[in-house]
Amino acid sequence: MFRELKKYLGGLFAATTPAVWVLLALALGAAIIVLPRPSNRKDTMKLWLFNKMHQQVYVTVAEDWNRAQPTPATEVETILLANAALERRLLSGFMSGTPVAELVETERFVGAKTFTGPLEDIGFMDITDRLREEGLLDAINGPSFAPWTSRGRIFGIPHDVHPVLLVYRSDIIEAAGIDLTKVETWAEFFNALRPLMVDEDGDGRPERYPLNFWATQTQILEQLLLQGDGTLFDAQERPRLDSERNAFLLSTIATWCGGPGRVVVDAPEFTAPGNTLKLRGTVLASLMPDWLGGIWKSDLPDLAGKLKLMPLPAWEKGGRRTSVIGGTMLGIPKTTRDFEASWAFAKRLYLDRETHVKFFAKTTIIPPVKASWGDPVFSTPDPYFSGQISGQLFIAQAANVPARTSSPYNEMAIARLSDVLIALVERVNREQISDPAILLPDARERVAAAQARVRKLIERNVFLREESAAVSAADPLPGSVSAPPVAGGSRVP
Amino acid sequence: MSEAIAPSRPVPSAPPAAPKGRYRAEPVWVPWVFLAPFLLTFGVFLVWPLIQSVMLAFQQTFGPKTSAWVGLENFTFMFGDPLFWKAVRNTAIFAAGSVCVQLPLSLGLALLLNRPGLKGRAFFRMIFFAPSLVGLVFVGLLFGLMFAPRTGLVNTTLHGLFPAFDPEFPWLQLYIMPALILAALWLYVGFNMIYFLAALQNVPEELMEAAALDGAGPWHRFRHIVLPEILPIATFVVLMSLLGSLQLFELPFVLLDGGAGPDNRGLTIVMYLYQTGFVSGDLGYASAIGWVLALFMGAFAIGQKWFSKRQEES
Repeated sequence: MFRELKKYLGGLFAATTPAVWVLLALALGAAIIVLPRPSNRKDTMKLWLFNKMHQQVYVTVAEDWNRAQPTPATEVETILLANAALERRLLSGFMSGTPVAELVETERFVGAKTFTGPLEDIGFMDITDRLREEGLLDAINGPSFAPWTSRGRIFGIPHDVHPVLLVYRSDIIEAAGIDLTKVETWAEFFNALRPLMVDEDGDGRPERYPLNFWATQTQILEQLLLQGDGTLFDAQERPRLDSERNAFLLSTIATWCGGPGRVVVDAPEFTAPGNTLKLRGTVLASLMPDWLGGIWKSDLPDLAGKLKLMPLPAWEKGGRRTSVIGGTMLGIPKTTRDFEASWAFAKRLYLDRETHVKFFAKTTIIPPVKASWGDPVFSTPDPYFSGQISGQLFIAQAANVPARTSSPYNEMAIARLSDVLIALVERVNREQISDPAILLPDARERVAAAQARVRKLIERNVFLREESAAVSAADPLPGSVSAPPVAGGSRVP
Repeated sequence: MSEAIAPSRPVPSAPPAAPKGRYRAEPVWVPWVFLAPFLLTFGVFLVWPLIQSVMLAFQQTFGPKTSAWVGLENFTFMFGDPLFWKAVRNTAIFAAGSVCVQLPLSLGLALLLNRPGLKGRAFFRMIFFAPSLVGLVFVGLLFGLMFAPRTGLVNTTLHGLFPAFDPEFPWLQLYIMPALILAALWLYVGFNMIYFLAALQNVPEELMEAAALDGAGPWHRFRHIVLPEILPIATFVVLMSLLGSLQLFELPFVLLDGGAGPDNRGLTIVMYLYQTGFVSGDLGYASAIGWVLALFMGAFAIGQKWFSKRQEES
């Protein structure tokens, strides 16, 4: 057998063309050059993150940290990934055991996807007890934990609060003699700005609209629903889309989007057409979470000094004047080599006052650590917002931020409610409706159908089925559309 | 003397003896050595994942370590899932648009370019073919900007021409499927035209001339000579369009900014597969959708083969 093989291979080599030999020689040469070279990569702790602005701040923190480390093993290396790449690598790591960084900074929707399985199989360390032992549960703004809490356990340190204010074109509005400082509700806000909705070019349509919103802008819809105590998931993470409050909110919002009472225009964020409408003044006001402030400063510098911030108009007098959107956390995967080192760096990065100051200066994001809010940087006038003290305006609303859910089905729930809103808007346009009460029966039916669809999908999850059944047995779901509103969000211990 | 020289007789010659060992049969394992790289790659990257995906279609997983066998639950859920049927309906509309609008236009353009004596044929061929060079993602971005309310080319032009036209008309909310068909039309009409043009150039000229001499008009020549001649190519183009339509993903994904549009009006089967598997994380259900899609595509391919065979026989 071996003799035959030898003979056969001998014949094969004899028949091989010189070109093949050249290629083989090149490949072999390259391998010889590359293989013996020692790798430049140190065996450090890796931090995956998805936001370039975050990385710019973290690099300096990591450099300071690294100088104090005795060995490379506890030095930190930041690795910037596209959000989609981070999601794939993180989920692959958690589900299939491929390598994952020692620390992972992730946004809310990616984080939620790691919570779809059994509690014991979640890839992040459960840090609930550690947070409690170190007194961090009290030091950090309470609602900020909600997106990182699943079935009562916390899996990440929150990075932010993300309160939402209203930003408006003060140059146009104040020039028209309109004072928004006394406005308290959405109804008052639209009434105040309605005089600016005039048709200047004679085409039968106004050139300005009070608010940037459209039925397809699901992020803003979520903010409006959360602000108005709309319900998405209850404290046990069961869907609660079919509440009377949701039906009311959606009916009202539908009359903003169409028919004779239309007051909104579609100027989506991060798009050239949307930014054009903001620059032109077609849109007079937008919902602005703190993180969006930094993005506007970078993307819309021409609006500097032409904008002012105010608390969101409430749904009813005395109601909530803020909302919330987005969220980022720092989690420590269970595969981390040295939990204590990872934990120490995580605290340094997320709880350090100096970092908070740098971060706010770069991004307008306020930290969730209450002790940092007293720093002078948060009380500095902001020229972009016409000299207002933007930091304190956001901080003033931090405690009122509604709780966000950590349910992996949240995106789907919002999409179904957006479908309801779109259907209602189409009816509003068709029948020229301006009274939300006319839409209510229709809205009730539609939110009930949306609830049924989301519930059916969640009940498919065999891993959550047993836990859901246990929760339902202990705490039966209240009735449908007549149930009292419950703020969405996970229970924080 | 008597020894006569015997006339030479042709002697059946034995086959020349082969040099020893030269034509000997190779050992049995030799072909396998040559096939091994392919078989290994094919097995690891195609057969094994296929087997895994079949198994996945009957499971719910949270990674390979945590999985639960659910039998036919993924399939039974799918057949009662309104979103799946919406995706099937949208995909069918797109496929119908591709076959019923795009292909006749491609054939029409090919017929125009095939006219004898046409000047600048190569130029027009390049112009019509050029859009297919840019790819689906580019077309998605381009049409997204064109259909944008207020600032998009379509609305600003229509509003400029007809001031009563609403500059905020939401094309990508109300007419998603027509917008997708239009974008695909712009992209592929020239591409399919090339196939038809090649087929038309193979239609025997003498048959056309004979028919003309016999008094056949343009329609009869097309109906009885051109169409039968180009039918094999046309069948192939229809099949490719159908298969491409069933796999529609990038165009709506880019045009609708990663979603499926309001009320999932732009949801296609592959988009639903993607959303289920990679957005919702339900890989088992996504796998089941994938296999049903594969069955649809297999059915079309078998149908095409049957049709072609029948054409050949007739």
